[in-house]
Amino acid sequence: MLGSVPRSPASERSPTLGLFLGMVITLAAVVAYSAYITRQIGGLRRLQSELIDRNRKDSLQLLRIQNDLNLLAVAMRDMVENDEPYPLTAWSAQFQRIRTDLDDAMRLEAGLAPITRTLEQSASLTSSLNQFWSASDRVFALAAQGKQKEAREEIRLSLQARHAALSTTVARLLVQNSENEQQAAQRVVEIYNHVQRQVYLFLAATIVAIVLAGFSMIRWNRRLFAHISELSERRSELAQKLIATQESTLRYISRELHDEFGQILTAIGSMLGRAGAHAPEGSSLRTDINEVRQIAQDTLDRIRSLSQALHPVMLDEAGLEATLNWYIPIVERQTGIAISYEKQGESFAIDTNAGVQIYRALQEALNNVARHSGAQHAWVRIRYLPQTFELEVEDHGKGFSGRPPKNGIGLVAMRERAELMGGHISFSVPAASGTLLRLIVPREKVESRGTDSNR
Amino acid sequence: MAGLTWVSHLPWVPHFSPLLREAGFPSQFPLLHALSQSTANSPGFRFTDITSSAGIQFQHDSGAFGGKLLPETLGSGCAFLDYDRDGWQDILLINGMDWPGHKQRHSTLRLYHNNRNGTFTDVTARAGLDIEMYGMGVAVGDYDNDGFPDIFITCVGQNRLFHNTGKGTFVDVTNPSGLGKRLGFSTSALWFDYDRDGLLDLFVCNYVKWSPEHDVFCSLDGKHKSYCTPEAYRGETCWLFHNRGNGTFEDVTASSGIFDSSSKSLGVAMLDDDQSGWPDLLVANDTQPNKLYRNQRNGTFKDVAVEAGIAFSSEGKARAGMGIDIADFTNSGHAGVAITNFDNEMTGLYEFGGKSYEDVASQSGVGLASKNSLGFGCVFLDANLDGWLDLAVANGHIDETVRNIRGNVGYAQPPQLFLNNGKASFRDVASEIGGGFDQPKVGRGLAYGDFDRDGDLDLLLTTNNGPAYLYRNDQLSANRSIRFRLIGTKSNRDAIGATVRIVSNGLHQSRMVKSGSSYLSQSELSVTFGLGKGDHVDSAVITWPSGKIEEFKNLAAGRSYECVEGKGISPQDGY
Repeated sequence: MLGSVPRSPASERSPTLGLFLGMVITLAAVVAYSAYITRQIGGLRRLQSELIDRNRKDSLQLLRIQNDLNLLAVAMRDMVENDEPYPLTAWSAQFQRIRTDLDDAMRLEAGLAPITRTLEQSASLTSSLNQFWSASDRVFALAAQGKQKEAREEIRLSLQARHAALSTTVARLLVQNSENEQQAAQRVVEIYNHVQRQVYLFLAATIVAIVLAGFSMIRWNRRLFAHISELSERRSELAQKLIATQESTLRYISRELHDEFGQILTAIGSMLGRAGAHAPEGSSLRTDINEVRQIAQDTLDRIRSLSQALHPVMLDEAGLEATLNWYIPIVERQTGIAISYEKQGESFAIDTNAGVQIYRALQEALNNVARHSGAQHAWVRIRYLPQTFELEVEDHGKGFSGRPPKNGIGLVAMRERAELMGGHISFSVPAASGTLLRLIVPREKVESRGTDSNR
Repeated sequence: MAGLTWVSHLPWVPHFSPLLREAGFPSQFPLLHALSQSTANSPGFRFTDITSSAGIQFQHDSGAFGGKLLPETLGSGCAFLDYDRDGWQDILLINGMDWPGHKQRHSTLRLYHNNRNGTFTDVTARAGLDIEMYGMGVAVGDYDNDGFPDIFITCVGQNRLFHNTGKGTFVDVTNPSGLGKRLGFSTSALWFDYDRDGLLDLFVCNYVKWSPEHDVFCSLDGKHKSYCTPEAYRGETCWLFHNRGNGTFEDVTASSGIFDSSSKSLGVAMLDDDQSGWPDLLVANDTQPNKLYRNQRNGTFKDVAVEAGIAFSSEGKARAGMGIDIADFTNSGHAGVAITNFDNEMTGLYEFGGKSYEDVASQSGVGLASKNSLGFGCVFLDANLDGWLDLAVANGHIDETVRNIRGNVGYAQPPQLFLNNGKASFRDVASEIGGGFDQPKVGRGLAYGDFDRDGDLDLLLTTNNGPAYLYRNDQLSANRSIRFRLIGTKSNRDAIGATVRIVSNGLHQSRMVKSGSSYLSQSELSVTFGLGKGDHVDSAVITWPSGKIEEFKNLAAGRSYECVEGKGISPQDGY
């Protein structure tokens, strides 16, 4: 028997530690992952602001410079082609406008130049531009002196060449910026890919952790529920066995008292009666014998009362209803509590075993009324309903004073008895105060099916 | 209020009211009340298309024969002018012509004489203007101060200067004036006296270096030729000609600092940007930065457009500037600017912010409303005479097939009339003013003038390869106006460059007498002030181009005044 008992949960490892450990690991993973993402985003932002944005702004300025250089190229072409009816000096204002814009663009570009720009490259750009403007100044100086032909020659030989050098320098810088942007874009892609991988990894790990934790919880819960259910069954079984043993013992003692001692005392009484008849009338012997006979009769009555109290034979012989009809007046007499007894519905035969349980529940209830309620009046109602059999015991005494009834032995026993019959018991407070006990049992569980017609 | 006034003047309303009451209507005429509510938000004026009834039968000839030559899509301009000085505005419509080798018809500009009864008579031939040319724009100004307006016509090829003989005829003086032998692709032009010598000088915009022989093949689909955008061509400098005073002109383009071979100019307007009394110029360039030529008071100009914040859009992009007008639409005393641009670029509406201009198109309501339009001609005019200058815009795309590429943009586009509510906000009321004004057109030129002398401004609109439209303005709100016709004595006779400032009902308004503006077009030289319900002007201050300032007080509204520099002001009989 002991070998089949499952291990108690206390003997197994508690899941709390595992769950706590899992929670700590999960939290640590979330924190670590957040830190990782924050770092990556920070890196991206730095890359964006320090490299890409700066590079883009620099490229915009280089494009502005290139646009100005294109305007200068077109103007130089017009100057060389000589298809305008104006002297070359006419272009000086146009050159000056472009120069102003170019200087502004150069100044902004210098502030935005990427860190990869070498000093030589910066110097080359500045130097190319200075050479261009000095050549330009020479052209306009020649033009101002009326030397149109020489000025055009200077444009062709010097100014356009320097313009080409300058354009090449700017173009190289733009290419370099483009390469920088490509590299940055590549880095951004790498970061995104890395983050993406990490996200998938984290997601997978999280899902695995959640699934494991879920399964673990489900397993532990199932075990726990199974164990609780088993405990409950065992407890119930134990209680039922206890009750059954108690009833059996009480019935045995009751019958022994009634049958054995009753017969012995009855026999003693008869023998004493006969002995007394043989003793002389008025003799002290006869008086003594009668006294002993009376003592035997009293003992017999007491044993019969005790036997009835331990297990009313009437239950087995006359049924529940008859037993109640007998028992309730006894309680009234014994306790001094007025009990209103009421029956409702069309009565049906109650099974003896169920009758014992109902009788015991009533006994316990009335005992509680007598001992705890302080009430002088109680109501006992039994109802034969189509589906159920109900027993109500109501008093208007102290009740539970707002607190539910404590699970004392009596109450526990009552619940067990109710459950033994497949029914249930409830306690409530009737309209005024006091206690209303209601035992409801399915009819099929209590109705006698056999030839037992005892009631 | 305007609507209520109008309804209360209906003669049948008092007689109708008992019937309405009997019929169970409340005494306050809910139907009429609703009507008056709707008219309370109405623009306060209506346009009537009187082109046909006025006898104007004009058809623009772009010369298009399928060759998709660049000038074909730019249209031609128009002008209001009083060429015979009878006090009634006549109409000049510029025209293109068939290209050499593709000649099918004889196309010339048209001069329509105002018959003073709402009709016009075509006097082109009689005036000696029945001459074929590929005309683009027009600038009207009395360059010889003889009292009769002369006409300068910009062309693809040789521009023309026609001298007004004063006898209803014109004489082509292009060559004698020194303006001949200059081939170009000129667009807008204006007369102004940049050196304040009392003689009108001439500024001419040029678009690009183009000739039929050097037309570039551009295509939207890779197969069929389409009109090129100006990026395909080299720019061309604008020209400035100084009036020597002897009927001839001197090219001062280079010496004045105007020269800029990168410009691709389509519109020009004059202003006094720095309030110096010396006229400045603002040039709208197509795909190139706009130019603000500030008069250096020594015969030269300096481009300050970048510093003034008007060279580029607020995003720093050179837009496709087309038409331009400059006027004090904020009644702040300092003129603001409107520049029409390509579709998707929005019209630029610039307010002067103390040091530079700020594009307020978006917040004013003009920006979004013009986003899907390609604007050309634009003029500030007080269409409802409420004292606040409104903005009229002629729209139309350059490409007939644009709808195939951009579904929400058509070749023909509705003109727009943005009403100024005086609170820095404009609302397009084109669809509310009738006359079919909001019907889509391939609009190009736009000019205003009071041809019927009723005190409000009528509109003249030209279309590319299509008819011209004359819209008569009829006031519904009983708003009044006052008009000034200025005659310079020391200043140029047309008083171009003079500024008139008035105070009426606490509202300060200013107008400049100006040539040019809009696109290829010129409006009348008289200035018109809307006064709302005001019946007089407290004061009118005229600053003449010569620098002379004259002030006149308590001028009655509802009429026109002729002001002769230094000789006072004389009210006219009506407008």
